[in-house]
Order: sequence, then C-alpha cells, then structure tokens
Amino acid sequence: MASTVASLSTPATFAAADVLPRRKVAGRVWFPMARRGGFAVRSSGPATPPEISDKVSDSIKKAEETCADEKGSGECAAAWDEVEELSAAASHARDKLKENNDPLENYCKENPETDECRTYDN
Amino acid sequence: MAICSAHTTTSLHSPCTTVSNTGFRQKQVIFFTSNRRSGRRHGGARTFQVSCSVEKPVVIGLAADSGCGKSTFMRRLTSVFGGAAEPPKGGNPDSNTLISDTTTVICLDDYHSLDRTGRKEKGVTALDPRANNFDLMYEQVKAIKEGQTIEKPIYNHVTGLLDPPEVITPPKIFVIEGLHPMFDERVRDLLDFSIYLDISDDVKFAWKIQRDMAERGHSLESIKASIEARKPDFDAYIDPQKQYADAVIEVLPTQLIPDDNEGKVLRVKLIMKEGVKRFNPVYLFDEGSSITWVPCGRKLTCSYPGIKFAYGPDSYFGHEVSVLEMDGQFDRLDELIYVESHLSNLSTKFYGEVTQQMLKHADFPGSNNGTGLFQTIVGLKIRDLYEQIVAERAGAPAEAAKV
Repeated sequence: MASTVASLSTPATFAAADVLPRRKVAGRVWFPMARRGGFAVRSSGPATPPEISDKVSDSIKKAEETCADEKGSGECAAAWDEVEELSAAASHARDKLKENNDPLENYCKENPETDECRTYDN
Repeated sequence: MAICSAHTTTSLHSPCTTVSNTGFRQKQVIFFTSNRRSGRRHGGARTFQVSCSVEKPVVIGLAADSGCGKSTFMRRLTSVFGGAAEPPKGGNPDSNTLISDTTTVICLDDYHSLDRTGRKEKGVTALDPRANNFDLMYEQVKAIKEGQTIEKPIYNHVTGLLDPPEVITPPKIFVIEGLHPMFDERVRDLLDFSIYLDISDDVKFAWKIQRDMAERGHSLESIKASIEARKPDFDAYIDPQKQYADAVIEVLPTQLIPDDNEGKVLRVKLIMKEGVKRFNPVYLFDEGSSITWVPCGRKLTCSYPGIKFAYGPDSYFGHEVSVLEMDGQFDRLDELIYVESHLSNLSTKFYGEVTQQMLKHADFPGSNNGTGLFQTIVGLKIRDLYEQIVAERAGAPAEAAKV
C-alpha cells in the first residue's frame, strides 16, 4: 500500500492499463514476471544471514551422516526434516531482507507525512 | 458489524463481561470503568452497556507443506482484505504471526510439542502428529473463535526451540496456516473455510531447487534427499487433509509444452467443493457445463506456450466439485483482464479487481500464472464469506447467539 512516487516503474507492456480505473492501478507495477525470469528472481536477492546459512549447511552434513548408516529410519527423516525447516527459515530471512532493503520505503513507514513519502493515487 | 467501537481508555484493560440476555437472545458486552460496586452506587453512570456481539472471528485454515507457497498466499489474502500484514510490533522478532487491520495469521508450527532436539531424539519429523500438541491447538483456536485472548507459544524456526508465548487477541478473520489445520477433527470443525495447497512432486522439486540451490551446502542431491526422506510422513499425515478442504489449489507441470521438466510453466487447478455454505464456486461461461477455452486467437494475442482454460464438474474424494483449470502463463496485462472478464461468480467489488490485485503484487511468485490467479480468487471468496457471516449476525442476532 505504502508505495512511493520513487518506486513507481512503468514497463513498456503496460499498454492496457487504461482499461482499468486509473486509481486502481496506481502503485508498484511490474508486469509481467515472465520477462524477469519467472521465479528465479530470488537468486539475485540478498544473501542468507550467515548464522542461518551455517545452520543449513551443518544440518545437511548431519543428515547425510545420519542417513549413511540407517536410511529410511526415523532419525534419518528427522534429520532431513531439519534441513527443510532451516532452508525455509533461510528463505524467509532473505525475503525479510528484501522487503527491508529499500531505505526510502523504510523511512516512509516511519514518516508517512513527509513530502518525499506522499503518494498520489489520482 | 460485530465490532465494539464504544470504549474508554480504561475499558481496554477492564474485564469485559458477556451477558446473555435471554429476552433478546443477544450478547451484550459490559465495560466497567471502575469496580462493579462503585459503578452501581453512582447510578450506573460509569457503566457502559454496549449492545453488540463480542468479536467472534471467522476462522480459516490453510494447509500445505513447507516451501509450497503458504506465505505468498497469506500476503495475497490479507491484501484482498486491505492493508498489509506485519509481524506483531515490539514482540519476538522470530514470531511467526502476521497481523493486519482485519486479519491475524498464525503458524501452526507454534503448536509443536517437541522442539528440534526432541524430534531428533525421538526420530520423528515435524509432520508427525506426535510432534504436535493438538489439544492445545484445539483449545486455543476454540478460545479465539469464542472471542477470547490467548497466550500462544512461539516455535522459533531458527533456533528450533519453543520461545515464551505471545498474546493473540481475536481479530475479525483468524487464519491458521501450517502442516495440520485439518488433521484433528475438533480443530477442523472450528474452521469456517479451509484451503489445501497441493503441489505435485515435480513442481515441489523445481520450487525447492529455486529456493535452495544458491544456499551453501545444498545440491540437487540434498534437495532430492530431503523431499524423499520427508515423503512417507507427508503422505501419511499431510496429504490426506485435502479431502476435507473446501478449496484445493493443485499445481502441476504444464501440458502445453511436451515433456516440460523446467517447472516454470504451470498447470493449476482450483477445485471447489459444491454445497459449502456461503461459498459459490467460480465458473467459466456456463455454470455446470464442461468447457475448454483457449483465450488466445484473433481477439487476444498470446506468446508461447499460450494459455488454456478448462472448467467443469468433477468428483473429488467422493465430493461433488467444480474444477477451474489454467495452464500456461500471462505474459501481458490485457490477457489477464480478458480472462477476468470471462469468469463469473468472482465475488469482486468492481470490474478488474482480480487484475488489480495481481498487478499490485506482481513481484510475488506466481503472479503471472494460475497460482496467483486462483489464490487471489480464493481470497475474494473468503472476503465474501466473511461479509456474509457478518451480515447474518447483524441481521439475525438470535441466530448469531447460537454460532
């Protein structure tokens, strides 16, 4: 919602925008995703915080060791489940960094009334 | 609207008593600004009687495996309701809860009974019911549904430990998302609407490669090993829940590209249960008919591999359902608008609302395909369901008292 003037981008493919009520398309608009490489976008985002990154790689090593002797055991499944849990946590942490890495957006969250944070919907 | 708007500063912290007035069969909330006795002695001047129902949230369940798009769905859903969802302010930075003006989303991992060490010792995964406290889950979801505040544990996904609890107050819409929202019958019965995200093995593998490949220590082998090791528990405890869902979003590889294994183009099905109260399935052209539709042609130019829709009645775990299917992806805005204009029963408030929502979150995964489209539609359906419930409560207080 709190998009700023600065974050507006207008791609060339936006020709049909006037079909919609103008007010409704104001905001951050990138379209289509396809041009940006589908869901491979994440790899260009921020890196995982090191404390989580270390845990992920440690958990993989441990899972491989655990499953070397007893594949199919509960311990093996639990070890790989830990890998999944940490990988998901790493992904969420990267998303959080991505959300919080626009200094203007962050400033405007705290100071929505200032001139540089005004949004013009109409 | 079931909202108590009349309050004073002190009433926020004073006990809120619910009195069942049998004459009107309407629930009333009484705020005491001072203690009961002095309030009465001063002729009741300090006693506010607010004639409204206690906030009784509509409860929604969302089930899916880890890494299958629950978070994205939640962001789309809360956006349909208006306002962004944020973690609780000033709380545990590792809280899994998201709060917006209308909606609170909690993660059911918070009801793990075994922490990471405990699961490792016992050799059980988080998917296993033995690692989860369904009694507490039931008690707390029930309490929220009755309008009570709860203190919910926090499972910390980074440390793998259970952190001190956080306070959750009843919102208008309460969403429980996680691995087991429909596993326990008692919890399931509390849900006003339920959704299952069913990601096929091929797509799950492709998504996890996208998510994890860049992560240090991960490789194709480790990603595959993790999916395989978790699969028996997933099949035993998570997958069967889809039979209870009111709506299932099934994500499959495309059929438009022969032997596609990239997992970039998707075929997505929205399976909608018939006969669910307050839920009217979306349809294409003619309700109840079987239709295949390729929107690309003279009127609409699509790029490779195009877009294909299908709609029709079907049976799902013995239930009568309507299935809407989209294969392919939107490459241009006018494709999305064109498709939206041909769908009916969308529960939009104005023409183009689906397109608007999709554009608003064009940076979310799936905004150019059926996952984003159907998540948005389900969001609109939930908003509609919520508004129906609110209208029913306002129109028939006697009925509301029974809920």
